Amino acid sequence: MNEMPPSKDESEDVDDHYRRVSALDPSRPSEPVRRAVLEHAARLAEERTAANAPAKISSTRPARHRSWWRPAAFGTLAAAALAGVLIAPQFLTPRAPPKSASAPAQVSQPKAAASPEAPVEIKEQLSGSAAAERTPAPPEAQGNAAPASDSAAAKNAPTKAQSMAKVENTSKARSGAATSNDSETDARRTQTITSPASRMLAAPRAAAPVPQELAAELRRAAEIGDVPTLQSLLGRQPVIDARDESGRTALMLATLHGQAAAVDALLARGADPNAADARGMTPLQAAVAGNQPAIVAALQRAGAR
Amino acid sequence: MTVTDETDEALMARYGRGDVAAFELLYRRHEMRIWRYLERNVGNRATADELMQEVWFAVARDATRYEASARFTTWLFTIAHNRMIDSIRTGRRHTSLETLGYEAESVVAQLTADPGLGPLAAAVTRDQAGALLRAIETLPGEQRQAFLLQVEGDLSVEEIAAITDTSFETTKSRLRYARSKLRELLKDYV
Repeated sequence: MNEMPPSKDESEDVDDHYRRVSALDPSRPSEPVRRAVLEHAARLAEERTAANAPAKISSTRPARHRSWWRPAAFGTLAAAALAGVLIAPQFLTPRAPPKSASAPAQVSQPKAAASPEAPVEIKEQLSGSAAAERTPAPPEAQGNAAPASDSAAAKNAPTKAQSMAKVENTSKARSGAATSNDSETDARRTQTITSPASRMLAAPRAAAPVPQELAAELRRAAEIGDVPTLQSLLGRQPVIDARDESGRTALMLATLHGQAAAVDALLARGADPNAADARGMTPLQAAVAGNQPAIVAALQRAGAR
Repeated sequence: MTVTDETDEALMARYGRGDVAAFELLYRRHEMRIWRYLERNVGNRATADELMQEVWFAVARDATRYEASARFTTWLFTIAHNRMIDSIRTGRRHTSLETLGYEAESVVAQLTADPGLGPLAAAVTRDQAGALLRAIETLPGEQRQAFLLQVEGDLSVEEIAAITDTSFETTKSRLRYARSKLRELLKDYV
């Protein structure tokens, strides 16, 4: 190590000699390996093409049918406007207020609407389709009450939806507890849905990657120590101890690559610290072999043997 | 631009869109470089075969996630290096120099069996190949990896430093000492 490093020209000589001799080296991968690689690549390409096919159709459809779609939309709008013109006079005609203390009676009296109790009463009587029917209220009946009823309806609608969602969640959770683990998972998932908006947000989860892909992504994130991605993937309830073709779990890969933070994250989410690979090597053995004291300590704390 | 003039990155993008022919071309282009990198580091053909399959499976699997901002060869050799290191750590790779010597002799025997070489050329080639493989075998692992990444992957010192997770200066030093030792061992041929 004390000798002087070679000059650039000398380096080139060595490289040239290496390349010259290497060109004559007949050693090459075995034919089964080459075949397996190319077949695997072809299979993956087919899967990707198949997965992309529906998306292509849906993206081209609007362009292809644009000439039909526009008249249809305008026609619908025109029909709605015509319906409005025909129905509106019925509401515009003055009516005798009902004698009972129903909501329309109070709504038709601006003074009553101005009182602090009025919005509360209106809100109480608005429900389901009744709320929908009230929105096109006659102009003379609106006064101060109409905005109040609109806002009440707006406030009420999500509240109702939330309560319905909660009822649904409760019933699902009950049935889930009585049946199987899968339905328990469903119940847990639906309990997080508290509004139609969150339900819509949750919908793409159904189209999320299949468990194998999710597990592969998890292993990849663990291998490269991408902790934010790892945490995000762990939040999607993957099979945390899923193995690759060599029987290695995400924890094993994180250990092999010295990704201490990823190891901590996986252990915190219940990864099996004793999951050995196909050759029988445990994460603890790999950490010791790789001289990773922090990971050894973390694994031992998690019960690794 | 003909198909064969296409850059690796363009071929990778095509494969990401489902073009299998692009992958086959990429494989043919880099097959031997990756193979030599793996085989000369692990010193065992069976293990090198296993690693070869793992590396290219990973390339195929991650094709859609590959970003052309990185050179394809850098990405490819990063995968190969990581798999090889995994293999060493899990004990799949033998570290016995005796076994490596056996493999090296086997390669030399194949070279001499080439019917295209005359007796003298075959002898010269056999000597050269044997000397080169033995010289590479005697390099410390880190120097061997750095040297092979440069000569097989055409990677810069910065790229090798990033792949092997070392500093620029350390990598430069490893490359210099690797070449110095090879030059000394191969002084009769270089």
